[in-house]
Amino acid sequence: MTTLVIADHDNNELKPSTLSVVSAAQKVGGDVVVLVAGQNCGAVAESAAKVAGVSKVLQCDDAAYANQLAENMAPFIEGLAADYSHIMFANTASGKNIMPRVAAKLDMAGISDITEVVGADTYIRPIYAGNAMMTVQSGDSCQLITVRTTAFDPVAAEGGSASVESVGAGSVSDKVSWIGQELTKSDRPELTSASIVVSGGRGMQNGENFAMLEALAEKLNAAVGASRAAVDAGFVPNDYQVGQTGKVVAPDLYIAIGISGAIQHLAGMKDSKVIVAINKDEEAPIFQVADYGLVADLFDAVPELDAALAAG
Amino acid sequence: MADVAALPGYEDATPDIVSAILEEAGKFASEVLAPLNWDGDQLGAKWTADGVTTPAGWKEAYQQFSESGWNSLAFDPTYGGQGMPGLLSAAVQEMWHSSNMAFGLCPLLTQGAVYAIESHASDELKQTYLEKMIAGTWTGTMNLTEPQAGSDLAAVRTSAEPAGDHYLIKGQKIYITYGDHDMTENTIHLVLARTPDAPAGVKGISLFIVPKFLVNADGTLGERNDARCVSIEHKLGIHASPTCVMSFGDNDGAIGYLVGEENRGLMYMFTMMNEARLAVGIEGYGIAEMAYQRALAFARDRKQGPVLLEKDSDVQGIVNHPDVRRMLMTMRSQIEAARVMAYDCAAAFDFAARHTDDEVRARFQRRGELLTPIVKGWSTEVGVDLCSLGVQIHGGMGFIEETGAAQHLRDSRITPIYEGTTGIQANDLLGRKTQYDGGKAVDELLEDMRATHEALAGSANPVAAKAKAALGDAIEMTASVSQKLVAEKNPVLAASAATDYLMMMGFTTGSWAMARIVLAADNTEDRAFGNLQCAIAGFYFDKIATHAKAHHLAIQNSASEYYELDQALL
Amino acid sequence: MKILVAVKRVLDYNVKARVNAEGTGIDLANVKMSMNPFDEIAVEEALRIKEAGKADEVIAVSMGVSQSQETIRTALAMGADRGILVETEEELQPLAVAKLLAAIAKREEPGLVIVGKQAIDDDSNQTGQMFAALMDWPQATFASEVEINGDKMKVTREVDGGLESIDVAMPALVTTDLRLNEPRYAKLPNIMKAKKKPLDTLTPAELEVDITSRLKVVKVEEPEQRKAGEIVGSVADLVDKLKNEAKVI
Ligand SMILES: Cc1cc2nc3c(=O)[nH]c(=O)nc-3n(C[C@H](O)[C@H](O)[C@H](O)COP(=O)(O)OP(=O)(O)OC[C@H]3O[C@@H](n4cnc5c(N)ncnc54)[C@H](O)[C@@H]3O)c2cc1C
Ligand SMILES: Cc1cc2nc3c(=O)[nH]c(=O)nc-3n(C[C@H](O)[C@H](O)[C@H](O)COP(=O)(O)OP(=O)(O)OC[C@H]3O[C@@H](n4cnc5c(N)ncnc54)[C@H](O)[C@@H]3O)c2cc1C
Ligand SMILES: Cc1cc2nc3c(=O)[nH]c(=O)nc-3n(C[C@H](O)[C@H](O)[C@H](O)COP(=O)(O)OP(=O)(O)OC[C@H]3O[C@@H](n4cnc5c(N)ncnc54)[C@H](O)[C@@H]3O)c2cc1C
Repeated sequence: MTTLVIADHDNNELKPSTLSVVSAAQKVGGDVVVLVAGQNCGAVAESAAKVAGVSKVLQCDDAAYANQLAENMAPFIEGLAADYSHIMFANTASGKNIMPRVAAKLDMAGISDITEVVGADTYIRPIYAGNAMMTVQSGDSCQLITVRTTAFDPVAAEGGSASVESVGAGSVSDKVSWIGQELTKSDRPELTSASIVVSGGRGMQNGENFAMLEALAEKLNAAVGASRAAVDAGFVPNDYQVGQTGKVVAPDLYIAIGISGAIQHLAGMKDSKVIVAINKDEEAPIFQVADYGLVADLFDAVPELDAALAAG
Repeated sequence: MADVAALPGYEDATPDIVSAILEEAGKFASEVLAPLNWDGDQLGAKWTADGVTTPAGWKEAYQQFSESGWNSLAFDPTYGGQGMPGLLSAAVQEMWHSSNMAFGLCPLLTQGAVYAIESHASDELKQTYLEKMIAGTWTGTMNLTEPQAGSDLAAVRTSAEPAGDHYLIKGQKIYITYGDHDMTENTIHLVLARTPDAPAGVKGISLFIVPKFLVNADGTLGERNDARCVSIEHKLGIHASPTCVMSFGDNDGAIGYLVGEENRGLMYMFTMMNEARLAVGIEGYGIAEMAYQRALAFARDRKQGPVLLEKDSDVQGIVNHPDVRRMLMTMRSQIEAARVMAYDCAAAFDFAARHTDDEVRARFQRRGELLTPIVKGWSTEVGVDLCSLGVQIHGGMGFIEETGAAQHLRDSRITPIYEGTTGIQANDLLGRKTQYDGGKAVDELLEDMRATHEALAGSANPVAAKAKAALGDAIEMTASVSQKLVAEKNPVLAASAATDYLMMMGFTTGSWAMARIVLAADNTEDRAFGNLQCAIAGFYFDKIATHAKAHHLAIQNSASEYYELDQALL
Repeated sequence: MKILVAVKRVLDYNVKARVNAEGTGIDLANVKMSMNPFDEIAVEEALRIKEAGKADEVIAVSMGVSQSQETIRTALAMGADRGILVETEEELQPLAVAKLLAAIAKREEPGLVIVGKQAIDDDSNQTGQMFAALMDWPQATFASEVEINGDKMKVTREVDGGLESIDVAMPALVTTDLRLNEPRYAKLPNIMKAKKKPLDTLTPAELEVDITSRLKVVKVEEPEQRKAGEIVGSVADLVDKLKNEAKVI
């Protein structure tokens, strides 16, 4: 039994989500091989080789994989599948995009967003925005899985010493071409891997007011997130969205400010270890999941909190 | 509904279409109209010299409303209407009024104006106005009331001077709902006025179309007419619905076009009055429904003291105090009764309009006309009380504006006043609808009530026994009191009993409605739903139907001395 | 060009899902069902493309129980031209849905297929990608902007770090993200017309698709409930608790 873990990376850096996927792979048992497919991604392969518990790294350096286009990635992974009992990918935008395509090519089911490994063929995954947990068993000879990374403690990034093996590229699709990207810049931790997340909702009233949250985040070394209402209103970019249809986060501390706590939002953050809610409406459903609730006007409370943190 | 859909012309009202329409209307009401309700109340409509502006978001919502075709639901397909039954329209209208009554009034008034034009105006006027009004591109208003002429329209003074193919209208109207606003490019006023040689009183009133902007021969908008809103009222509720003082003919006279013939205006108004009064009755329980939903949600959430009911449930809210249940059920059961009565009334007019048999049509016309003042008078009076209960269930929070319960109470308070006060409805019920036809319409109603009473005998349902008792009482009371009042020769005695009669008829017809709910519940396959319906009906028979007895007694006691008192002593 | 949109009947997003007594799924008796919100966005996008003169026909397809007809009717009421229901009482997993959709695409030969990025019931986020794989079409998933230029399409996608744009050759698949558009409300005349629009019913057998479930559902449970915490009195209190009680800052 060997699991192939597809590395999540941007050609420069191995994303921490990969460490959680390796952790999930270890729960299945057997060897763990990591695939790094990209362009000029040598450094990533090297990092992957150092990850604890990885027995081998496959590296394929080819322009076709520079941007993780599913049309190229899927046939390539499909070609490797025969050697593996499981293939796992983080449930990131790339993972979600690529893995179902591989599954269909192999005529296999594909299991998305697992939060628990029950056995080598049995997993738990949330459905209905996390309002129910479904245990599923797969009969497929190669089990294709995307992993909710927040549900698995990452393995150590260092400590391993796997060999790096080069593999040849697969077929290239001429039906798609990558044009460009517009990434949100931030020096602070990435939303899904940050240990503290400060999120704002419609209560923030406008985009300018999010500066208050950025300042807070700066002091806490936190990432900034948002509710869909805040994103839809254009206060912040779409990649800030936390929730059923946005990102799922589970930091040590989640601070929800001016967010009512709709189930779709809760679906993305209720597994955080400690939840703090600041809302002026004491009936807001967010208080039902908050460990600490503060009923207050955020325009008073946030500056006060900021000052308290500055004071140390 | 199935019976109505079987009428000629309503073939499209199949169950799937009806449910799709209700579903989409519900979506529109809850997603577009409801969110504007509170802000509309707080901001209100504003008057400026250039015209009235509605609160932020209203114009867009209205445009969406008319573009979606909701205005056209029950109108004549010849002019772009969808020709659906009034019964379906009643259900849809409830959603507008529940979610946002101040908004719902605009299409309500347009509907009144459309019916008046449809039924009585010349083809030329219909061609010019109906299509746009049915689409909702133009709205309509009803200009009846004047400072000295409210309940008594005989006192109307606004004048109409013939001037070639049109008339010049001069005078002042007050309390004109949506008399001016910024949501559409044109507003079409229907105005009651007198021509120079008209006889005095109700027989000398004519009806005119007075557009805000004149309409050119090619249908485009022409000059601004000499009709303006000179101020708007500051009101207890429905703040977003502009209530306008309209001034016609400040300069040369507002150009108006006669609808039908001279001096028949009031009669024309009466033919459409039924629709408008039914619509206000729907407002009465529609707003109470909103108050109920809000109160129920609060009662589930609010914890206060150890509860006596469902002690082990995870809901420890005040909903589990028996007295709070009483209040909630008082709301729910009467809303349900009022809804059935309004549906009966709407369906009666559908039958009266479309049935192939003359006699059946006439019978349903009488039924609709009999039920109209009951639906209007009873449902709005009860509706106000229920909105007040909605506040009560909230405790101190109910008295606080931000909670929203208070707005429903304030908004509901107009419903027993406009379109004829409860006193006027009572006069109508007793005078025109009962005494005038010798009690024929009431007798027919009693016949149907007795049929239900008999049908109940076949039911093994324990609530059916209660229904049977309550309906038996209702029949007895209705029959005896109606006979007595038909025979009453003293107009003072009759008039002093009128409102008690109206209220009694509300509660007894309510019993009939609830009895039919029990029978229907017997036949439904969905047991949980059937049991719920029976519980609601059971509550009605236990606690609400009893009110009929008080009114019944009060009518018997009408021969008292108070009306002989000198008013100076009051 | 024809556009095929897939629409799924799901538990309305305002209704809280409750696990059934048997622990085998969600209780769907007597609850409000609606069109999957992402599919509404898909229908809207297809209609906009048609209204811009870039497509001639929009076909709404649903697979599932006979009541899925209502969902198709909703799409027709929004403006889709006709509907196809693949009726089955069997539970359908994403791979089966993708295969059925592919079978229909082979019959209809659309230039574009638009589906929601995920259904809010099983939250799988797989069907569109699987369909594209079966057809060997390019896939533009999580779209927030779609621009058709001749036989190519430029799509902006919502990805983890922000936005990405790609060019795909048609025929192609698009899955919708939330910000692609705001779906319209059905207009009353269209609700009435929807009844008269054609709606064909097929079965998986007629399409020769094997819909057997690949994943066995062992059980469905309520998630562990978070217990409500406490309301703190002040910001100072909050900071104190975070530092000394929870020890997270
Ligand atoms: C298919 C679908 C998918 C969805 N997916 C997601 C998702 O992934 N993520 C998501 O978040 N939502 C999602 N939603 C939307 C979700 O239902 C809610 O609409 C949304 O989460 C509400 O955002 P909010 O809490 O910011 O806004 P609101 O519900 O409007 O709440 C604003 C809150 O701010 C508070 N507030 C206002 N002013 C102040 C002040 N001055 N001080 C303190 N508090 C204040 C208010 O009391 C209120 O509680 C989805 C919806 C659908 C239909
Ligand atoms: C918000 C609002 C919107 C309105 N919209 C419109 C509109 O769009 N168009 C329009 O034309 N009018 C409109 N009205 C006017 C409304 O129809 C009248 O206010 C109503 O008919 C009552 O007339 P009144 O105000 O003159 O009261 P009055 O007629 O003076 O009545 C005062 C009291 O005397 C009682 N009473 C009067 N006569 C009798 C009688 N014969 N028997 C027993 N009791 C009697 C009444 O029941 C009432 O209790 C509106 C009013 C309001 C407040
Ligand atoms: C304008 C205003 C001024 C006020 N002034 C003062 C003041 O000066 N001093 C002061 O101390 N307070 C004051 N109050 C508070 C007032 O006395 C409370 O609002 C009132 O006692 C109701 O309590 P509550 O609002 O908590 O409602 P709740 O107790 O939550 O009641 C909600 C509903 O539940 C019902 N209910 C609750 N418990 C039971 C039960 N055991 N059995 C049956 N039904 C039950 C109630 O009848 C009510 O319908 C004021 C309130 C207002 C709105």
